[in-house]
Order: sequence, then structure tokens, then C-alpha cells
Amino acid sequence: MTEFNINRRNFTMGAAGLAAASILPIRAFANDVTITISSPWGSDRPFQKVVDAYNAKGTGVKVVNRFDGNYEQMATKAMASIASGHPVEMMITGWKFGYFAKRTLGARDFFDIDEASAEEIITQFKPSVRSLVNIDNALIGLPWAMSTPVTWINMDLWREAGLDENIPLDIDHAWLLEQANTIEKALGGKGHPTYRSALDLSNNEWTSQAYVQNAGGFILDGETVVCDSPAAIRGMKAFAEPVKSGAWKNLDYGGQAKAMFAGNIAICATSSSRASTAAASDIEFKDVMFPSLDGKRNMNSGGNFLAVYAREQELAQASMDFLKFCASPEGQLIWSEVGYLNTSVHDIPLQPLQTAAVAQLEAGLTSETIWPGKRGLEGQSVWREKVARVLEGVDTPEQAMAQAQSELSQLISAG
Amino acid sequence: MQIALRATLKVLAPYILVGPAILFVLVFLYAPVVFSGVLSVSDWNFISPDMKFVGLDNYRVILRDPQFQTALLNTVLYCAVLIPAQIAVPLALATLILRIRKPFLANAYKAALFLPTMLAYSTAGMAWLWLFDPTNGFFNTLLGWFGLAPSRWYSDPSLALWCVVIVSFWKNFGLNMLLFAAALASVPGSVMEAAKLDGAGSWRAFWTVELPLISPTFFFVAVTTTMSVLDDIAATIDVLTEGGPFGQSTNVLYYMFERGLRFFQFGQASASAVLIILLVLIVTWAQVRMFERRVHYES
Repeated sequence: MTEFNINRRNFTMGAAGLAAASILPIRAFANDVTITISSPWGSDRPFQKVVDAYNAKGTGVKVVNRFDGNYEQMATKAMASIASGHPVEMMITGWKFGYFAKRTLGARDFFDIDEASAEEIITQFKPSVRSLVNIDNALIGLPWAMSTPVTWINMDLWREAGLDENIPLDIDHAWLLEQANTIEKALGGKGHPTYRSALDLSNNEWTSQAYVQNAGGFILDGETVVCDSPAAIRGMKAFAEPVKSGAWKNLDYGGQAKAMFAGNIAICATSSSRASTAAASDIEFKDVMFPSLDGKRNMNSGGNFLAVYAREQELAQASMDFLKFCASPEGQLIWSEVGYLNTSVHDIPLQPLQTAAVAQLEAGLTSETIWPGKRGLEGQSVWREKVARVLEGVDTPEQAMAQAQSELSQLISAG
Repeated sequence: MQIALRATLKVLAPYILVGPAILFVLVFLYAPVVFSGVLSVSDWNFISPDMKFVGLDNYRVILRDPQFQTALLNTVLYCAVLIPAQIAVPLALATLILRIRKPFLANAYKAALFLPTMLAYSTAGMAWLWLFDPTNGFFNTLLGWFGLAPSRWYSDPSLALWCVVIVSFWKNFGLNMLLFAAALASVPGSVMEAAKLDGAGSWRAFWTVELPLISPTFFFVAVTTTMSVLDDIAATIDVLTEGGPFGQSTNVLYYMFERGLRFFQFGQASASAVLIILLVLIVTWAQVRMFERRVHYES
């Protein structure tokens, strides 16, 4: 056994060695580097906590979270910054902007920046979500925020309409419509002080896509538009059915949020990311799965990924360092407060009102529609317009889907 | 030497004084117009290294686009409703306010009616979003008091355009009212007195004396209101309806904004910009032709 005597010199050297060992792995950058991340969340949102926690580590990289509006506004600013020769280092990019991020904005392939770090980051996420950030055979993002449409039930209105409180987690469209019609009959004519709509399935591209997929169809098959298939049309018919029956008063997406949290809608199909807001509200919500069609469900997801746009290697490396923290159990735990689905392999405690979303994630989620082509971003607008025309009864689902197929195909083939 | 320097400075002084303003206009107005013209015949997104000449393709694409056709039709509708309303109502209000005998009351009315003009479009739009809110809005509550069914207002395709009209009118009529009030107040009392002595009633005096005397202001208001209806209304559209439902409330300027800053089709956006410039030029020229003989500038 080797004897080790502690004297002043040994103690000093040992302490210095320990200090160096504890500093060196953390402080990976010789000089202080500042990277800016363009984000849809301001300093009052949980994402700032992730940034603050990383900055507190003193790695030599300082991350600045810059609120740049919604995904479209962020993309506009990114274009402007790239055009001016000063691209933002990182951007929280909507899933639907995948092709645009890679092909137009030039999102970097993580493996091109640093192979080992890329491997370390992506292996911390579930295999089922890894493909969502793989565009044109390049890993362009860390799968950050994932949500899926679920159904929220306002239990006060539900009870008031005399419905059974034992609501199954897995619900079907026909069953849900029956309940909605019961609520409409019970509360519609009574001048209920808050009640306005028995049901709201969200007038946006996301929930209509869910109906199309649950009916066995798709909007896009690769880069081919297939939204006019019999299955897709059947899905759209089911989607518009509650408007015809009067159970759904068809609000816009923003109006839905206000009405939902004011207690004006009895049943609301919308993003699972509203879990934390719903849990904190004064209304007693119950979350159940998005309605299946004839017992079938092929749900889609949405959200965003963290992408690197920095051109300089040092800034790109610094971005990867921040991404490693985001992917870590610590980063994921802080982020989980928001109510997005846990896409990582880490064991993160479930938040309130996440049961339905997790059940859908476990069943498998497709991506939201990622519009390809140089004019792909217009695809979302065309799709929304056609869906709105069906809901307003201006066009039949057959007419709208045929028009959508023609217009979307032209847009996608434009470049 | 000094005399020569002074003489040179005297000659150069106007150019030196006007120079910065001219430079400003050239850089921030005419240069972008010329650049828009170049972009309108190109395919370029500002970040791609290649700028491709595409001739009139961008014009062809937008002129065949049903969304552009709807936007153009809506623009005509907005102009047809808002231009007369934003001239006639402020003129009537200004005339009435000037007949209020108590100055305090007249000023209070002017201030109250001018207040919406001072608000930012975003603030005004947000306030009206709440008033029009389909579930908890003031107007639906009002309808409820009378036992009427709630309306979806800006979510309803048949009402969305009218919601934009209401907000835009509310936001803009105050300035015109103030301009008319100032012009009417400057009409000499002696002229009106003479008209009365000649037996002209209030209505006749207004049409034959006051209105011709304020014709320069009337002309100015007509031109600026036309530009405002074509231009500023896009801000109201953005906050209130985003052009929807399915393009029912959009206009050509909002269409241009969407092409450029939502879909990044800068060529098409520039082509729309050029068409808008032409439209404004034609309308302004027509207004000049229509009014020039009726406008009296003599003091």
C-alpha cells in the first residue's frame, strides 16, 4: 500500500488539480462567446429558465434568448439577418418549416459541425422523434417542443348537461358528436351565462390533418399531394360534420383559446401544449384523446426544433454546447414545466393533464405537414383556406380537396 | 476673396439646405421604388447568390391568382365605402361642431372624436378584437340583451370585411374632421354674413360659399384619404382578420405583405407593389382631373 502524506505542498497542488479538473470540462471555450437564439418565447417563459440555467454554469458561452414573434415573423427576421451577413446563431424553428430551414435558410447539419456532439445530442431522444428532425439526410435540429392535438372537456358544462363523468380516455368521433349534441340540446336553449359552443375542433391546419389521417388518408405522401383521396375526403366530411349539426360554432384559433379559458366551450380539441395553462386555469378540464374515426387513429404532432444557423465554426460549436445542455436530463426537466411532450429518453415526471397526449405519443405520431418546394410555405395558407371553405359550407369537401390538390401540387412543383 | 466666398455660399446655400432632404427622399423613397421594379422581374429571395431574370412571370402569376383577384375586388369595395364615408361624415361633424356655441364643449367634442386617430393600429385593433369577440365580446353581449343570437363578427366571411371597415373608419375619421374644422373656421365671417344678407339659407350657404372656399382642404383630404384607404387599412386587417376567413377581408397591400413577408416570394410581392403604385397613380390622377377645376386657391 502506498503511503500518501499530506503536507502543505501536496495539499496546494491537489487542490489546484481538483479545481482545474472541475473547471476545465465545464469551461470548454477559451474566450467568452455569445450566441443569440431567436425564439417565440420572451423572458417571462420557461424557455428563459433553460437559458438562465445554462448561463449559470459559466461554460464560456453566453446564450441570449431573443423574442422574435411567431414562427413566420422569426423566419422573416432570420432571412433579413442572413441577407445582411449576420445570421442569428440559433433559431427555434417550427416543424412545418423543416424544408425551408434546410433548403432556404441553410440550417446546419449537426454532424457537419461536430460529429461526436451530434451523436451525443440525438441519442438522448426517442428513436420515433429522431426522423422528424432529419431533412434531406441531415440532422438539422434538436427535437425540442412536441405537442399533439388532444381533447379538453370542461367538466362543469359536461356535468350541467347531465352527462356521465366517467369519460373514457380513448374516444371516438361519433361518440363525441353525440355528447356534443346532447350538450347543445341541454344548454343551448337555456341561456347559459358562458356557454357558446358545445364543441370546437380548432379551425386550423393541424386538426383537419388529424381527421384526414384518422380516416386513413394523408395530405402529402412524400412530396405528392394526396389530399383528394376518398379517405381524406371522408376525414374532411367528418371534420365539418359538427358545424353542420350546430354543435360547433367555428371560431378562429385565437378566438378558441379565449373562449376555452373563459369557459365558453364544452369540448375543445386543441394542442396538448396548453396543458400547463389549462391546469392553472379556474376551469376543471379533463383531457382525453383526440377522437378516432371508426376506432382508427393516426395522429400527427407539431411544435418546433432547435436549429443552428451560425456559419462560424466557433459559434456553431458554442451552439452545440448549449444544445447538449438542452438535451440533458437537467435541461429537459426545466423545459417539461411548459407541458410539451417528453421526447427525450430521460425519465421526466408527467405534468397534469398530459395523460391523453402521452397515450397518443406512445401509439406513434406522424409529423405535421412539412410543405416542400420553393413556394412550400404558401401550402399552409392554401390548406387553411380550403379547410375554412369546407367549414363555412362554401365548398363541399370533394370540391375543396380537389382544388387543394391542384393548387398545392402547382406550388410544390414550382421549385 | 471673402466677397467671392460669400457669393459662392449664397449660390450654394439653397442646395446645401435642401440637399439632405433630397438625399433622404432619393435613398428611402425613389431607390426602393426602382429596386421594387427590378425585383418584380426577378426571382430572388435576398439570400440566394443567384438573382434570375424572369421577365413578366411574377405579374402573370399574381394576376392569375384568385387571391389577388379577391384582394383587388376588396380594395375597390374598401375604397367605395370608406373614401366617401371618411370625407362626408367628418365634414358633417366639423360643420356641426363649429355650430356649437360653447368653446369648451366644441373642443371637448373635437378631442373626443380625434382620440382614436392617435391610437396605434395594433392597440385599436386589439381593443376592437375584444369588442367583436364572438363569445365574450361587448357587441354579442349587447345582442344578448335584446334576445338576439350572437354573431361571429370577424370570423364570419360575410361580416369580416365590414368589421375592418368599421375599425378603419373609427380610427381615421378624426384627422379629416379636424382638417375640415380648421378650414371651415378660416372662412371669413363677413363672407357668410354677405351670403345671409343675400338671402341664402344655411344649406345653400354651405354648398355655394363654404364648400368652395374650403375646396383646397377638401381636395387634400380626398387625396390623402384615398392613399390611407389603400395603405393604412392593411394594419387593421393584420390585427383583426389577417385577411381571412379565406381571403374575404384582404386587400392588395395585405396581399403584397403576405407574398413578401409570409411566403418570401419577393418577386411577386414587388410585382404587386408596382401594380399598387400604378393604381395609386391612376386614382390620384383621376382625382386631380376631377377636382382641379373646382379647387380655388385664391386667398
